[in-house]
Amino acid sequence: MAHYKMLDGNTACVEAIKMAKVKVVSAYPITPQSTIAEKLSEEVESGALDAGYIRVESEHTAMSCAVGAQLTGVRTATATASVGLALMHEVLNVASGCRVPIVMPVVNRSLASPWSLWCDHQDSIAERDSGWLQLYCENVQDIYDTMLMAYRIAENPEVLTPIMVCLDGFFLSHSMQKVLLPEQAEVDEFIGEYTVNNLKLDPEDPMVIDNLIGSDEITEMKYQQAIGFEKAHDVMLEVFEEFYQKFGRRKALVEGYRTEDAEAVVVTLGSMSGTAKYVVDQLHEQGHKVGAVKVVSFRPFPAKELRELLSGIKKVAVIDRTTGFGGEGAPMWVETKAALSDEYLVKGYIAGLAGRDIHTGTIEQVFRDILASDQAGEKPVWIDCNTEHAMNIREVNKYV
Amino acid sequence: MKNMKFYGVGGQGVVTATKVMSSAVSLYEDKYAITVPAYGHERRGAPVYSDIIMDDKPITLNCFVYHPDVVIVMDETVVDKNVNIGAGCAEHTILVLNTGSREKAESLACQFGFKEVYYADATHIAVEYIGRNIPNGPILGVLAKTGIVSIESIETALIDFFGEKAGEKNAKSARAAYEKTAKM
Amino acid sequence: MLNQQEQHTKKLQKCRVLGPCAVEFAAANTGSWRLERPIVRFNECIKCGTCQRFCPADLITIDKGKKECVDIDMNYCKGCGICANECPKKCIDMVDERSVG
Repeated sequence: MAHYKMLDGNTACVEAIKMAKVKVVSAYPITPQSTIAEKLSEEVESGALDAGYIRVESEHTAMSCAVGAQLTGVRTATATASVGLALMHEVLNVASGCRVPIVMPVVNRSLASPWSLWCDHQDSIAERDSGWLQLYCENVQDIYDTMLMAYRIAENPEVLTPIMVCLDGFFLSHSMQKVLLPEQAEVDEFIGEYTVNNLKLDPEDPMVIDNLIGSDEITEMKYQQAIGFEKAHDVMLEVFEEFYQKFGRRKALVEGYRTEDAEAVVVTLGSMSGTAKYVVDQLHEQGHKVGAVKVVSFRPFPAKELRELLSGIKKVAVIDRTTGFGGEGAPMWVETKAALSDEYLVKGYIAGLAGRDIHTGTIEQVFRDILASDQAGEKPVWIDCNTEHAMNIREVNKYV
Repeated sequence: MKNMKFYGVGGQGVVTATKVMSSAVSLYEDKYAITVPAYGHERRGAPVYSDIIMDDKPITLNCFVYHPDVVIVMDETVVDKNVNIGAGCAEHTILVLNTGSREKAESLACQFGFKEVYYADATHIAVEYIGRNIPNGPILGVLAKTGIVSIESIETALIDFFGEKAGEKNAKSARAAYEKTAKM
Repeated sequence: MLNQQEQHTKKLQKCRVLGPCAVEFAAANTGSWRLERPIVRFNECIKCGTCQRFCPADLITIDKGKKECVDIDMNYCKGCGICANECPKKCIDMVDERSVG
């Protein structure tokens, strides 16, 4: 029987990894991911997880080991955050290019500098083009569920693309919440054994993997990856439906909340999505017709579904937890804008950098602004940022 | 919906206290509670706070608590470290305090405008029952006295969290604090 | 050398900077983190210097000529208790910081 447990986001990842019966773990601890690496090592030590634990000296090596290990025909586990993910950058592309379907939790944390341990999406969004699928989670139950589904999606023979399960640092990684955990047998039935569907490293039947390829073939190999992303879209829908049939919890590529007859919506990513729903309920009580849209899959970006969901809603506020320097807007805004025709007013907001809280007031402020706007403006709005003070926050004594 | 804010200093088990409290409510009272922990640059002695949002239905909100219904202060020296334990409090906000002294409870209630205070010397009780000056078990006993959670749920959650041996000691310390709690 | 000479002709001035530059050094005063304070019972101390060798922050100075030979820099002592733990005579007590005042 499925049973309730209190878990934080990191432990939910560990539970899912354990139940997926990975055979090799190579993780390097980094705040706020550390407890994933630590708990996995405890599970291996106690024998609860029958796997080898490779103690690596960096995230670059962690991902290299994961790629190599998974190519021998087993599931592997690793996890990272922030600058750790940045250090993996090179090998992330190797994993996706070699079509190694690794499932990796990414605990979202700001990138240096300035140094911060806190959450924003700069780390994973910066890996937008590394050829990984990216799903973002709203709460701890969602993390556990998404992890299970991620194995099915990534390992599908038509997809064969690694996947990041992104969870907000501290707000989710360290938040204790009630989670319904299924039995191992149910998970086994849903995920199944790992099967090699592509490249395999086997001394009995040697194969050279990742050699130098001429430009006459690389475009085609990249095209193969593009097809993998296209297929991932359909496979996700199938897996979400199967998960719903089996476990009773629904998931979509993009989820709408009270979007019917809404005049304005906020588009969100990650843990702020729950707060947005709460604010939508409150504003409805005050007579405002507003809704919330949560993007679950950032890669592939569900442009078609978003268009359908927003059809007839003219005002769209997009909250980015990243900066998008030098662009017309930040990455989520760019995607949303590209998905919609010019009839829509799509306005960008930047909020929640390095853990600055996206609280009810933040979302209310966005709704107030978008409801009063009749054009998007040329630049995104930096929410809660004292722009006058911003240029004067540091003064030091210097010899001149 | 009930919002709680725990204040203390690093090393006292502030975050652990919120974890145990949220488990007690979620697993043994058929309600929902999430913790919103605030981590800084982890070290003993620095002011720490951690929040709980509690409700009868699943919680969608995921942000810090700005208007607490209950404020739990595990170490009153946070006040000297410029922490405003009265921030965002309303008329009905209850203070749960780790002190054996009525004068201390009175002076803090007066300073920050709390109308209702529950207090006991949780640190002393912890030393007595657990042998360490980590007051997270006993403070939950004091919190139970406010009626927001039952002492039985707290005891079960403590045993669940710390395991049979250490858990029993913690549960006993919580019960002792519960019995010794004074209300003002 | 040239740099140092030049500095005499230069003036200290407040300048605005962009980006993360620390302007408060209070955080470096690690003594404020302390929950427990090491106190040496000097009548039992054998001046062996073990505490000094084990202090992870190198804050202990031993002056064997003095009776109160162990000097701990309380501005930085975090009260970790390693000195008390390692002392072969067990003559360092960890005392609740609040009781010391």
